[in-house]
Amino acid sequence: MSGEHERYEDTAAPYLLGALSELERQAFESHLERCTDCREEVERLRPAADALPRSVTPVAPPPRLKTALMEVVEREARAEQAPARRPLGERLRAWLPSLSGVPPAAAWVSAAFLLALGIAGGFGISKITGGNSTRTVQASIDSARAPEASASLRIYGNGENGALLRAHGLPPLPRGRVYQAWVKQGSEIVPQSTFDVGRDGGAATAVVEDLRGADAVMVTSEPRGGSMAPTEQPILQAKL
Amino acid sequence: MQLVQQGDPRGFELLYDRHGGAAFSLAYRMTGNRTAAEDVAQEAFLSIWRSRLRYQPERGSVRTWVLGIVHNRAIDALRRSLVHERRRTSAEGLEERQEAPERTDVEAARREEARHVQSALETLPEEQRRTIELAYFGGFSHSQIAEMLETPIGTVKGRMRLGLEKMRQQLVEGFA
Repeated sequence: MSGEHERYEDTAAPYLLGALSELERQAFESHLERCTDCREEVERLRPAADALPRSVTPVAPPPRLKTALMEVVEREARAEQAPARRPLGERLRAWLPSLSGVPPAAAWVSAAFLLALGIAGGFGISKITGGNSTRTVQASIDSARAPEASASLRIYGNGENGALLRAHGLPPLPRGRVYQAWVKQGSEIVPQSTFDVGRDGGAATAVVEDLRGADAVMVTSEPRGGSMAPTEQPILQAKL
Repeated sequence: MQLVQQGDPRGFELLYDRHGGAAFSLAYRMTGNRTAAEDVAQEAFLSIWRSRLRYQPERGSVRTWVLGIVHNRAIDALRRSLVHERRRTSAEGLEERQEAPERTDVEAARREEARHVQSALETLPEEQRRTIELAYFGGFSHSQIAEMLETPIGTVKGRMRLGLEKMRQQLVEGFA
C-alpha cells in the first residue's frame, strides 16, 4: 500500500482542480477508496478548491438560457408523468408523421420497409473484431447523410460497463443541434449523452448504459440539450 | 432541492434562479466566450435536472454541486474544442467586460464573497496562483501546464498543493 501511496503523493490537489486526465482521475478515485492519508488530504484541501468558483466576478446570463432550459425541463417532466416508456412502434410513428393514423402492425411493416430501404440505400455492413476482454463493433453509416463518416464501438468486457463510441468524418451540425447516442434494447430506446464533433468531424462519447442484452447503439442529431426519444432516423448504428 | 428531486419544474426554476448566475459566470470565466459559456451552462443544468437524484446533501451544498458540474462540463468543452485556442490568448481581464448589475443584497454579498476569495488567491506566490488558475479556470491538465511553463510535473503538482493549502488557511483566517 505504501508503494501505491507514494505513486499518488501530491495527486490530491490536481484531482481537486480537475487537472488529471480521465484515466488518471479514475485510478486516483480507486486509490482513494483504499488510502486514508489521501482521503484526508482531499478533504483538507477541498474547501479551497470549492471556493475557487466563488472568486469569479458575477456576469449576467442571457434570459434566453433560462427560457430554453425551462422548455426542455417542462417537456421532460410531462413525459415522465406519462406511462414510463412507449413501445418502439409508437416512437417510430412519432418519427414518421406520415404514418400517424396507420394501425400499429402496418406501422411496423412500413418501418421495417423503410429500414430495409435504408440498408439498401447506403448503410454499410457491421462487423465485430477483437479479443475476449474488449471487442470492437464497426457501425453502419447512412452514407446519404454522412458520406465521409466511419464509426466504431469499443465494448469493454461483457458490456456491463458500457462502451466507447468513436466516429470520424461526421458532418458538422447547425447551431442549436448536437449528436446524441441511444441504446436500443427490445422495444425501448434509452437516451445517452449528447456530443459535438471537432472540425475534422471526429468525436468520442461514452455509452454508459449496460449493454448486456442491448440490440444496437445508434446516433441521431437532436436539439442542443438532447431529447428523451429520437426525433429522426439514426445517422449511424452499431448492431450488437 | 427536494422539489427538484421530485421532478417539479418549478423547483428546477428556483434552483436556476438561485445558482444560474454563478454557473454562467464560472462558465464565462473559463471559456472567455458568451456563446460557449451559454452552451456549457445549458448542458450542465440539463445534466443537473437529469441526474437530480444523485445529489447527496451530506457531500456538500447544492451550490458546490452545481458549480462542480459546470466546472466539469467547461473542462470537457475546453479539452475537446476550439475554445481553448482562443482562451490561451486572453488569460486576464475577462470578468471586467459584462458584469451583472448589482441589484440585490444577495448579489452584493456574492460580489463581496468573490472579492474575498480573489484576495486569498492574490496572496499566493505568483507561480502557485498561476498554476492553480491554469488548472482550474483554464482547464489544462498538470502535464500540459508542466509543458507550458517548462517545469517538471512534480513541481507543478507541488505548487498546486502548496497553493491550495495556503488558500485554505487564508480563507479560514478570513472567516475567523
